[in-house]
Amino acid sequence: MTEVSQRLRTAESAAGVVTEFFDRYREHDVEGMTDLCSINADFSYVPVELWGKQRVVRGDGKVGTVGKPLWTGLMASFPDLSNTVHAITSNDDGDVVAQVDIEGTQQLAWGLITPAGQHYREPHLFIFGVGADLLIDSITAYWNDADISQQLGHTEVD
Amino acid sequence: MTSQPQSVLTSTPTQTVQAFLDAFARHDIDAAIAVADPQVSVTVHPLGLHQTGPDALRQVLADLVRGFPDLVISVSRVITTGDVVAALFKAEGTQSADYAGAINQEKHLDIDQAWRFVVGGGLITEVTAYWCQAQLYRRLAVKRYDEIAIA
Repeated sequence: MTEVSQRLRTAESAAGVVTEFFDRYREHDVEGMTDLCSINADFSYVPVELWGKQRVVRGDGKVGTVGKPLWTGLMASFPDLSNTVHAITSNDDGDVVAQVDIEGTQQLAWGLITPAGQHYREPHLFIFGVGADLLIDSITAYWNDADISQQLGHTEVD
Repeated sequence: MTSQPQSVLTSTPTQTVQAFLDAFARHDIDAAIAVADPQVSVTVHPLGLHQTGPDALRQVLADLVRGFPDLVISVSRVITTGDVVAALFKAEGTQSADYAGAINQEKHLDIDQAWRFVVGGGLITEVTAYWCQAQLYRRLAVKRYDEIAIA
Protein backbone atom coordinates (compact mmCIF):
# COMPACT_ATOMS: atom_id res chain seq x y z
CA MET A 1 0.00 0.00 0.00
CA THR A 2 1.36 3.36 -0.99
CA GLU A 3 1.55 5.94 1.73
CA VAL A 4 0.25 9.27 0.58
CA SER A 5 1.73 12.34 2.14
CA GLN A 6 -0.82 15.12 1.95
CA ARG A 7 -0.24 18.62 3.25
CA LEU A 8 -3.09 20.40 4.91
CA ARG A 9 -4.27 23.67 3.48
CA THR A 10 -3.36 26.48 5.82
CA ALA A 11 -2.71 30.14 5.22
CA GLU A 12 0.99 29.32 5.07
CA SER A 13 0.71 26.39 2.67
CA ALA A 14 -1.65 28.34 0.37
CA ALA A 15 0.83 31.21 0.28
CA GLY A 16 3.56 28.68 -0.46
CA VAL A 17 1.72 27.46 -3.54
CA VAL A 18 1.42 31.02 -4.85
CA THR A 19 5.08 31.73 -4.11
CA GLU A 20 5.97 28.63 -6.13
CA PHE A 21 3.68 29.81 -8.92
CA PHE A 22 5.58 33.08 -9.28
CA ASP A 23 8.92 31.26 -9.03
CA ARG A 24 7.88 29.10 -11.99
CA TYR A 25 6.51 32.18 -13.79
CA ARG A 26 9.93 33.81 -13.39
CA GLU A 27 11.50 30.70 -14.93
CA HIS A 28 9.00 30.78 -17.85
CA ASP A 29 7.82 27.31 -16.81
CA VAL A 30 4.27 27.55 -18.14
CA GLU A 31 3.67 23.83 -17.75
CA GLY A 32 4.86 24.06 -14.16
CA MET A 33 2.57 27.03 -13.51
CA THR A 34 -0.35 25.10 -14.96
CA ASP A 35 0.55 22.03 -12.91
CA LEU A 36 -0.05 24.10 -9.78
CA CYS A 37 -3.63 24.73 -10.92
CA SER A 38 -6.65 22.46 -10.83
CA ILE A 39 -7.78 21.08 -14.18
CA ASN A 40 -10.75 23.46 -14.30
CA ALA A 41 -9.20 26.47 -12.60
CA ASP A 42 -10.91 29.79 -13.32
CA PHE A 43 -8.92 32.60 -14.87
CA SER A 44 -9.64 36.32 -15.13
CA TYR A 45 -7.20 39.00 -16.26
CA VAL A 46 -9.62 41.86 -15.74
CA PRO A 47 -7.94 44.56 -17.90
CA VAL A 48 -7.75 42.29 -20.95
CA GLU A 49 -10.46 43.26 -23.42
CA LEU A 50 -10.24 43.54 -27.19
CA TRP A 51 -13.09 45.51 -28.72
CA GLY A 52 -14.12 44.24 -32.12
CA LYS A 53 -16.97 45.46 -34.31
CA GLN A 54 -19.42 42.92 -33.02
CA ARG A 55 -18.03 41.55 -29.80
CA VAL A 56 -15.57 42.11 -27.00
CA VAL A 57 -12.98 39.43 -26.27
CA ARG A 58 -12.09 39.39 -22.58
CA GLY A 59 -9.37 37.71 -20.57
CA ASP A 60 -11.85 35.49 -18.78
CA GLY A 61 -12.14 31.72 -18.87
CA LYS A 62 -10.03 28.86 -17.64
CA VAL A 63 -6.33 28.61 -16.88
CA GLY A 64 -5.97 25.83 -19.44
CA THR A 65 -7.70 27.58 -22.31
CA VAL A 66 -7.10 31.30 -21.68
CA GLY A 67 -4.37 31.64 -19.08
CA LYS A 68 -1.86 29.24 -20.55
CA PRO A 69 -1.91 30.69 -24.10
CA LEU A 70 -1.80 34.20 -22.67
CA TRP A 71 1.27 33.42 -20.52
CA THR A 72 2.95 31.71 -23.46
CA GLY A 73 2.29 34.69 -25.71
CA LEU A 74 3.58 37.14 -23.11
CA MET A 75 6.81 35.19 -22.77
CA ALA A 76 7.24 35.11 -26.55
CA SER A 77 6.69 38.85 -26.90
CA PHE A 78 8.73 39.72 -23.80
CA PRO A 79 11.56 37.14 -23.69
CA ASP A 80 12.98 38.61 -20.47
CA LEU A 81 9.57 38.65 -18.77
CA SER A 82 10.00 38.57 -15.01
CA ASN A 83 8.21 39.31 -11.77
CA THR A 84 8.99 40.74 -8.37
CA VAL A 85 6.75 39.64 -5.51
CA HIS A 86 6.33 42.43 -2.97
CA ALA A 87 3.74 40.94 -0.60
CA ILE A 88 1.75 37.76 -0.26
CA THR A 89 -0.97 37.46 2.37
CA SER A 90 -3.34 34.54 2.84
CA ASN A 91 -5.94 32.91 5.03
CA ASP A 92 -6.92 29.37 6.01
CA ASP A 93 -9.71 29.38 3.42
CA GLY A 94 -7.10 29.42 0.67
CA ASP A 95 -7.50 33.05 -0.35
CA VAL A 96 -4.18 34.58 -1.34
CA VAL A 97 -3.56 38.24 -2.20
CA ALA A 98 -0.30 39.03 -3.98
CA GLN A 99 1.25 42.38 -4.91
CA VAL A 100 3.57 41.70 -7.81
CA ASP A 101 5.41 43.79 -10.38
CA ILE A 102 5.55 42.25 -13.84
CA GLU A 103 8.17 43.55 -16.26
CA GLY A 104 9.69 42.77 -19.61
CA THR A 105 11.20 44.13 -22.81
CA GLN A 106 9.09 43.88 -25.94
CA GLN A 107 10.55 41.94 -28.87
CA LEU A 108 7.39 40.82 -30.68
CA ALA A 109 3.96 42.36 -31.19
CA TRP A 110 1.67 42.20 -28.18
CA GLY A 111 -1.98 42.85 -28.97
CA LEU A 112 -2.09 46.10 -30.92
CA ILE A 113 1.35 47.17 -29.76
CA THR A 114 4.15 46.87 -32.29
CA PRO A 115 7.57 46.05 -30.83
CA ALA A 116 9.90 48.98 -30.28
CA GLY A 117 12.27 47.32 -27.84
CA GLN A 118 10.74 49.21 -24.93
CA HIS A 119 10.68 47.94 -21.35
CA TYR A 120 7.68 48.01 -19.02
CA ARG A 121 7.25 47.40 -15.34
CA GLU A 122 3.74 47.45 -13.89
CA PRO A 123 2.26 46.79 -10.43
CA HIS A 124 -0.31 44.00 -10.40
CA LEU A 125 -2.70 42.72 -7.75
CA PHE A 126 -3.39 39.00 -7.97
CA ILE A 127 -6.18 37.23 -6.10
CA PHE A 128 -5.78 33.45 -5.92
CA GLY A 129 -8.06 30.76 -4.60
CA VAL A 130 -6.20 27.68 -3.43
CA GLY A 131 -8.27 24.55 -2.91
CA ALA A 132 -8.08 22.01 -0.10
CA ASP A 133 -5.91 19.90 -2.43
CA LEU A 134 -3.40 22.77 -2.54
CA LEU A 135 -4.08 23.39 -6.20
CA ILE A 136 -4.92 26.87 -7.43
CA ASP A 137 -8.58 26.92 -8.45
CA SER A 138 -8.88 30.58 -9.44
CA ILE A 139 -6.64 33.43 -10.57
CA THR A 140 -7.82 37.02 -10.91
CA ALA A 141 -5.49 39.91 -11.72
CA TYR A 142 -5.80 43.69 -11.91
CA TRP A 143 -3.39 46.25 -13.35
CA ASN A 144 -3.34 49.39 -15.45
CA ASP A 145 -2.93 48.42 -19.09
CA ALA A 146 -2.78 52.08 -20.14
CA ASP A 147 0.48 52.47 -18.27
CA ILE A 148 1.96 49.41 -19.97
CA SER A 149 0.94 50.71 -23.41
CA GLN A 150 2.53 54.07 -22.77
CA GLN A 151 5.73 52.53 -21.42
CA LEU A 152 5.93 50.50 -24.63
CA GLY A 153 5.46 53.64 -26.75
CA HIS A 154 1.86 52.99 -27.78
CA THR A 155 -0.24 56.13 -27.35
CA GLU A 156 -3.56 54.97 -28.78
CA VAL A 157 -6.18 53.57 -26.42
CA ASP A 158 -7.15 50.95 -29.04
CA MET B 1 -26.43 63.93 6.49
CA THR B 2 -24.06 63.60 9.45
CA SER B 3 -21.35 60.98 9.63
CA GLN B 4 -21.65 58.27 12.25
CA PRO B 5 -18.56 57.96 14.46
CA GLN B 6 -16.81 54.62 14.04
CA SER B 7 -16.14 52.36 17.03
CA VAL B 8 -12.64 51.79 15.78
CA LEU B 9 -11.34 50.06 18.90
CA THR B 10 -13.68 47.09 18.44
CA SER B 11 -13.58 46.84 14.66
CA THR B 12 -12.04 43.92 12.84
CA PRO B 13 -10.12 44.69 9.64
CA THR B 14 -13.10 43.44 7.66
CA GLN B 15 -15.51 45.68 9.55
CA THR B 16 -13.26 48.70 9.10
CA VAL B 17 -13.02 48.21 5.36
CA GLN B 18 -16.72 47.41 5.11
CA ALA B 19 -17.46 50.70 6.87
CA PHE B 20 -15.27 52.50 4.34
CA LEU B 21 -16.95 50.78 1.39
CA ASP B 22 -20.45 51.38 2.74
CA ALA B 23 -19.71 55.06 3.21
CA PHE B 24 -18.11 55.34 -0.24
CA ALA B 25 -21.13 53.60 -1.79
CA ARG B 26 -23.49 56.17 -0.28
CA HIS B 27 -21.14 59.03 -1.31
CA ASP B 28 -20.50 59.91 2.35
CA ILE B 29 -16.87 60.83 1.97
CA ASP B 30 -16.52 62.17 5.52
CA ALA B 31 -17.64 58.82 6.92
CA ALA B 32 -15.26 56.96 4.63
CA ILE B 33 -12.33 59.12 5.65
CA ALA B 34 -13.27 58.69 9.32
CA VAL B 35 -11.86 55.15 9.25
CA ALA B 36 -8.54 56.23 7.71
CA ASP B 37 -5.45 56.68 9.85
CA PRO B 38 -4.05 60.25 9.96
CA GLN B 39 -0.90 58.87 8.31
CA VAL B 40 -2.67 56.63 5.79
CA SER B 41 -0.53 55.76 2.79
CA VAL B 42 -2.52 56.23 -0.42
CA THR B 43 -1.47 54.71 -3.74
CA VAL B 44 -3.75 54.83 -6.77
CA HIS B 45 -1.73 53.25 -9.54
CA PRO B 46 -3.94 54.30 -12.49
CA LEU B 47 -3.69 57.94 -11.40
CA GLY B 48 0.03 57.74 -10.61
CA LEU B 49 -0.83 58.89 -7.08
CA HIS B 50 1.45 58.09 -4.13
CA GLN B 51 0.71 60.28 -1.13
CA THR B 52 0.24 60.20 2.63
CA GLY B 53 -2.70 61.44 4.63
CA PRO B 54 -6.50 61.37 4.53
CA ASP B 55 -6.73 64.42 2.28
CA ALA B 56 -5.21 62.43 -0.58
CA LEU B 57 -7.82 59.73 -0.13
CA ARG B 58 -10.57 62.31 0.22
CA GLN B 59 -9.53 63.84 -3.11
CA VAL B 60 -9.64 60.48 -4.89
CA LEU B 61 -13.16 59.76 -3.64
CA ALA B 62 -14.40 63.30 -4.18
CA ASP B 63 -13.14 63.41 -7.76
CA LEU B 64 -14.98 60.18 -8.53
CA VAL B 65 -18.23 61.35 -6.99
CA ARG B 66 -17.99 64.75 -8.66
CA GLY B 67 -17.17 63.21 -12.04
CA PHE B 68 -19.90 60.58 -11.72
CA PRO B 69 -22.67 61.89 -9.44
CA ASP B 70 -24.76 58.74 -9.91
CA LEU B 71 -21.79 56.54 -8.98
CA VAL B 72 -22.78 53.05 -7.86
CA ILE B 73 -20.27 50.85 -6.04
CA SER B 74 -21.11 47.15 -6.25
CA VAL B 75 -18.85 45.06 -4.05
CA SER B 76 -18.45 41.48 -5.26
CA ARG B 77 -15.90 40.20 -2.72
CA VAL B 78 -14.17 41.28 0.45
CA ILE B 79 -11.19 39.04 1.17
CA THR B 80 -9.49 39.25 4.55
CA THR B 81 -5.98 37.88 4.93
CA GLY B 82 -4.80 38.93 8.38
CA ASP B 83 -4.60 42.71 8.54
CA VAL B 84 -4.85 42.98 4.75
CA VAL B 85 -8.30 43.27 3.19
CA ALA B 86 -8.84 43.18 -0.57
CA ALA B 87 -12.12 44.54 -1.89
CA LEU B 88 -13.24 43.72 -5.42
CA PHE B 89 -15.97 45.95 -6.78
CA LYS B 90 -17.44 47.53 -9.86
CA ALA B 91 -17.78 51.30 -10.13
CA GLU B 92 -20.54 52.48 -12.45
CA GLY B 93 -21.79 55.91 -13.29
CA THR B 94 -22.47 58.54 -15.91
CA GLN B 95 -19.84 61.17 -16.47
CA SER B 96 -21.03 64.65 -15.57
CA ALA B 97 -17.74 66.50 -15.15
CA ASP B 98 -14.16 66.17 -16.33
CA TYR B 99 -12.35 63.24 -14.74
CA ALA B 100 -8.70 62.20 -14.89
CA GLY B 101 -8.16 64.62 -17.78
CA ALA B 102 -11.10 63.28 -19.80
CA ILE B 103 -13.64 65.90 -20.78
CA ASN B 104 -17.26 65.21 -20.00
CA GLN B 105 -19.09 63.53 -22.90
CA GLU B 106 -21.80 62.07 -20.64
CA LYS B 107 -20.54 58.54 -21.24
CA HIS B 108 -21.36 55.63 -18.97
CA LEU B 109 -18.53 54.13 -16.99
CA ASP B 110 -18.25 50.62 -15.60
CA ILE B 111 -14.88 49.60 -14.25
CA ASP B 112 -13.91 46.56 -12.21
CA GLN B 113 -11.46 47.50 -9.50
CA ALA B 114 -9.46 45.95 -6.67
CA TRP B 115 -8.48 47.96 -3.61
CA ARG B 116 -6.01 46.51 -1.13
CA PHE B 117 -6.29 47.87 2.40
CA VAL B 118 -4.00 47.41 5.39
CA VAL B 119 -5.74 47.93 8.71
CA GLY B 120 -4.19 48.61 12.10
CA GLY B 121 -5.84 49.67 15.34
CA GLY B 122 -9.23 49.75 13.66
CA LEU B 123 -8.10 52.27 11.04
CA ILE B 124 -6.97 51.97 7.43
CA THR B 125 -3.24 52.61 7.40
CA GLU B 126 -2.62 51.84 3.75
CA VAL B 127 -4.74 51.72 0.63
CA THR B 128 -3.62 50.72 -2.85
CA ALA B 129 -6.08 50.93 -5.73
CA TYR B 130 -5.89 48.99 -8.97
CA TRP B 131 -7.97 49.48 -12.07
CA CYS B 132 -7.26 49.76 -15.76
CA GLN B 133 -7.16 53.31 -17.04
CA ALA B 134 -7.34 52.00 -20.63
CA GLN B 135 -10.78 50.58 -19.83
CA LEU B 136 -11.77 53.87 -18.21
CA TYR B 137 -10.63 55.98 -21.15
CA ARG B 138 -12.21 53.57 -23.63
CA ARG B 139 -15.57 54.01 -21.93
CA LEU B 140 -15.17 57.79 -21.79
CA ALA B 141 -14.44 57.91 -25.55
CA VAL B 142 -10.82 58.99 -25.16
CA LYS B 143 -8.81 57.88 -28.20
CA ARG B 144 -5.21 58.71 -27.32
CA TYR B 145 -3.20 58.84 -24.09
CA ASP B 146 -1.31 61.89 -25.32
CA GLU B 147 -4.53 63.74 -26.16
CA ILE B 148 -6.82 62.74 -23.32
CA ALA B 149 -8.77 66.01 -23.25
CA ILE B 150 -9.51 65.97 -26.99
CA ALA B 151 -12.76 64.31 -27.93
